Amino acid sequence: MEKRLIKKDALAGIAKKMAGDVLVWAPVKQEDNVLFKPLRADDEPFFAYLNSKNAPKNVFFPHTETLMKYTRTEKGMVFSEEVNDAPQSVLFGVRPCDAHSFVLLDKLFDQEKYKDGYYIAKRRNTTVITLACVKPPYTSCFCTSVDGEPVSSDGADILLTDIGGDYLVEFVTEKGEKLAKYFGDTQADAAADAKKNEIAAKAKEAIASKIPAHEVKPILDKNFDNPFWDTIHRKCLACGTCTYLCPTCHCFDISDEVTEVEGVRIRSWDSCMFPLFTKETSGHNPRTSQKERWRQRAMHKFKYYIDMFNAIACVGCGRCVMYCPVNIDIRKIVTDISKL
Amino acid sequence: MQNPYIPYPVVVDKIITEVDTKDIKTFRFKFVNPEDEAKYAYIPGQFGELSIYGKGESPIGIASSPTQKGYIEFTVQKAGVVTTALHEMEEGTLMGIRGPLGNSWPLEYLEGKNIVIVGGGFAFTTLRSMINYALHEDNRKRFGNITVVYGARNPGLLLYKEELEAWSKRSDINLNVTVDKGDATWKGREGFVPAVCKDVAPSKDNAVALICGPPVMIRFTLPVFFELGFSKENIITSLEMRMKCGIGKCGRCNVGSKYVCKDGPVFSLAQLDELTPEY
Repeated sequence: MEKRLIKKDALAGIAKKMAGDVLVWAPVKQEDNVLFKPLRADDEPFFAYLNSKNAPKNVFFPHTETLMKYTRTEKGMVFSEEVNDAPQSVLFGVRPCDAHSFVLLDKLFDQEKYKDGYYIAKRRNTTVITLACVKPPYTSCFCTSVDGEPVSSDGADILLTDIGGDYLVEFVTEKGEKLAKYFGDTQADAAADAKKNEIAAKAKEAIASKIPAHEVKPILDKNFDNPFWDTIHRKCLACGTCTYLCPTCHCFDISDEVTEVEGVRIRSWDSCMFPLFTKETSGHNPRTSQKERWRQRAMHKFKYYIDMFNAIACVGCGRCVMYCPVNIDIRKIVTDISKL
Repeated sequence: MQNPYIPYPVVVDKIITEVDTKDIKTFRFKFVNPEDEAKYAYIPGQFGELSIYGKGESPIGIASSPTQKGYIEFTVQKAGVVTTALHEMEEGTLMGIRGPLGNSWPLEYLEGKNIVIVGGGFAFTTLRSMINYALHEDNRKRFGNITVVYGARNPGLLLYKEELEAWSKRSDINLNVTVDKGDATWKGREGFVPAVCKDVAPSKDNAVALICGPPVMIRFTLPVFFELGFSKENIITSLEMRMKCGIGKCGRCNVGSKYVCKDGPVFSLAQLDELTPEY
């Protein structure tokens, strides 16, 4: 597909121009964090960022989402389906690891039999523009161990790569090509392509943190009862930070919020790290302690998701490593499992 | 396509208090929109999410059989927020049901085979659906002998008393109802389900056992069936887990690489052996 060049300092302007036409999610500085936000007229997108604190999964799978509304009548409640509001949108400047996570989430939410219309509508109407990592942003990045690369178009409709003074703009999908008009008219030459490949190879090389993620599946298959599981959870506070920040974690709760006359049924993110997640009405809880919950998290990412969808449910963004308040490191866990 | 998160509106048509303790009732629902009944085409062994606005949802096995037209039934024990609200409802109330969800009793596999049905206490509901389905004149010929062992702690806790009475008069079902301890009026069998199974001793030949009950009943019944020579492929049960979405997304009922809500709730013992023991 087509490739173009744009000047580096033109990027923010392009995002803002787009935001005049469609809903644009872009990285914005907010206090000490960078977060993906719908870009408003007075917002300045911040593309010199490392990565956003939260994974941008909330664009397709919001933290809280209304599934339906209802009103009380004399005979009981009457409900109405919440209109699936998914405007044409652009997710502008996500990192390749996070774009990879969308491909993984699609496998779950867009299955053949049970389709999640809320997720699919937003996904379908959103164009993903990936901003390649020409230098790995953090020492905790390990995307190359989990089928990712710092310069990758996986999950992207458009890939932007900083090749010095310019961004190389690669239109990856037809959906991406539809936004070509925003990216000037300078065609990229073979030299730009070569430069990008060189940068991509260097960036890949620079990911120093490596884990044997592909080696642990057969070990996990056989070690559900290994005493190893008694060791990793001990300092875990069950705060759920790892699952909330994780680009691929997708577990949710469904609950009702009501007033006297009307209400909504919402879904909101939930976490396998919480004791109540699996607790049944009878009091029985299949995962009685943090040991079972941690085993579930590790198993789900590095075994169950492979069994179900033939993919590891981790993109190597390193958020759980950076933000765990007690320094539990999934990289060490996977490495230790590989030695069992 | 029907949004799987949105319930079909139903009206509570009839409420039957099943047991003396009054905490188990059967709720008969009619669809508010008659065309929804066909959309809710279910198979015995499937479940639905009973949806009470403002309270939430509860996954409950379908107790009626698809051969019973015009309504759908769920037998519900009063236990948590949703089921308590349900028990306080009156006939005529509007609410919702989602589904049908999950796999089912393996009807195709059961075809031409002798069926042994073992139920204990309140876990008899989807087995009742299966029995009524198999006994229906359109289906009876598709299955071989039907043997049922059903037990409750005492006569007052037996579900579906009128149906048990009707089944007992039929010659095409071998019905064995037992209670742990009878009362002054009880003329039937006394004894625990495993002991009765041993006594009834159904043949393993061309037979499949469907077993649902409290864990303690399952624990002592399985050895009886192993002794009788039933293979793990031919002992089939239904699991319960905490659930929300019912369609394999929300993660709550994830056991190993399966979601009980969509890959189950019905599993053979052979399948359960493959599953991580975390349910």
